[in-house]
Amino acid sequence: MSETPTPLRLRVATVADDADRSVLIRVSNGELIALDELYERYKTMAYSIAYRITNDATLAEDVVQEAFLGAWRNAERYIEGRGSVKTWLLSIVHHRAIDAVRRRRPTTELPEFEALPPPALRAPDVWSEVAAGLDAVEVRAALGALSDVQREAIELAYFSGLTQQEIAERTGTPLGTVKSRMRLGLLAMRKVMTMNDGTSMTGQEAEPR
Amino acid sequence: MTDQTPSLTCDEIRDLAAPFVLGALADGEAEAMRAHIASCPELHAELVDFASVLPILAASAPVVEPPAGLKARLLAAAAADPARAGGEAESPAATVAPAPVVPVPAAPIVPAAPIAFPSAPEREERRVPRSSSPGTWLLRIAAVLAIGLLGGWNVLLQGQLGEARTYEQSVAAVLDTASQRGALAAILRPSEGHGEGLAAVAADGSVALAMRDLAPTAGSTVYQAWVIASDGVPRPLGSFTVGGNGTAYFEANGSPVEASLILAVTREPRTGAQTPTLPIVSSGTATTEG
Repeated sequence: MSETPTPLRLRVATVADDADRSVLIRVSNGELIALDELYERYKTMAYSIAYRITNDATLAEDVVQEAFLGAWRNAERYIEGRGSVKTWLLSIVHHRAIDAVRRRRPTTELPEFEALPPPALRAPDVWSEVAAGLDAVEVRAALGALSDVQREAIELAYFSGLTQQEIAERTGTPLGTVKSRMRLGLLAMRKVMTMNDGTSMTGQEAEPR
Repeated sequence: MTDQTPSLTCDEIRDLAAPFVLGALADGEAEAMRAHIASCPELHAELVDFASVLPILAASAPVVEPPAGLKARLLAAAAADPARAGGEAESPAATVAPAPVVPVPAAPIVPAAPIAFPSAPEREERRVPRSSSPGTWLLRIAAVLAIGLLGGWNVLLQGQLGEARTYEQSVAAVLDTASQRGALAAILRPSEGHGEGLAAVAADGSVALAMRDLAPTAGSTVYQAWVIASDGVPRPLGSFTVGGNGTAYFEANGSPVEASLILAVTREPRTGAQTPTLPIVSSGTATTEG
């Protein structure tokens, strides 16, 4: 995005987050131009995920539109929190896309209050650090840490929207094993990310990809 | 697992942490998790650790660019959003005033210094209380249309700027009508991806309509504008043709005047249709309020 002299992931993330939040404050004030900015920043991330999950261009558009409408309505509520805006949007898009594939129909009404990540998930800044500093190498390394069965379980959950019971049935695996594959897979990815922390930053914020 | 009670133990939380973060819990289970997390004094750091992996997972999805029209639809929906109607648009005039000649930067420059996050009272102070006056609403619409215009701007070649300007002038003409006392205004949205615009119905029954992104007409084919009042009967307002730039400006008289009207555009094989040929290309509800 811009050159930041401090080659620290945290620093980059903080600056990017501040810019995001200033946009979100304007969104909460009803400025359409600010919603436009927010959309421009994250449209590719949002649509890519929505499309990956729904595998349906129309449904993906609905999901993205609803997610940003949710942000439009709930920006006021959200900015009380401390997490990164990007991660918040990511979680809204994910929830909505999963919801859409589970129902296989576009939701026509928004819930009164958009699903926020629970407080515990928003608390530390580790999310924003990660979100801001992604690069392709890191993504590959983290995904490479997964065994085939772990990757299968995680992808069926995160991208296919299956519940753990459905994954157990689909793969003919006991529920407890499914849970532990998810758990061990996430731990393995987390471990790779932790190893990379502080060593791969160039001072530039990576795009979602 | 389907009969989860609303209360879970911390051990159960640990057991469900990974599927929860991945979205793999059934609705009831996920609710129970949220309820626990919201009230549990323990931080459940593992949830945070797991959640920190999600951006990596998300980044593994192949990059797909959203269709260009999505932004205009989003912004139109936001402007007309009932949950925010009557909300305050901060200095809408300033939002609208700059001529949309320069593309909005896709990613605004990150400020050099972190912005101090304002406290709640500070934010409250910044807010400009504003009643839901038609003027505010109109400015919002104008902003949407200007932005919608900008959305396509990045891909427009210099030679196509004239098309956007033409549409801009049409919008200005419609807004003139819409700003009259007792006038209604509508955002028309496409049914199948193409053809959006703005319409206004004045208190004397005159109608102004600005459209963009319509497929050009050829031969005897025309677009026809319709108004549907509370009796549900579509009344033809007249027809218009569209050239290669996809924009149109249209005026008519004789619309019924009610508190709410539906305006629609269809594509007809020839002029003079008395009943609309489906599908409707674009439509919207005209009201005096957002």
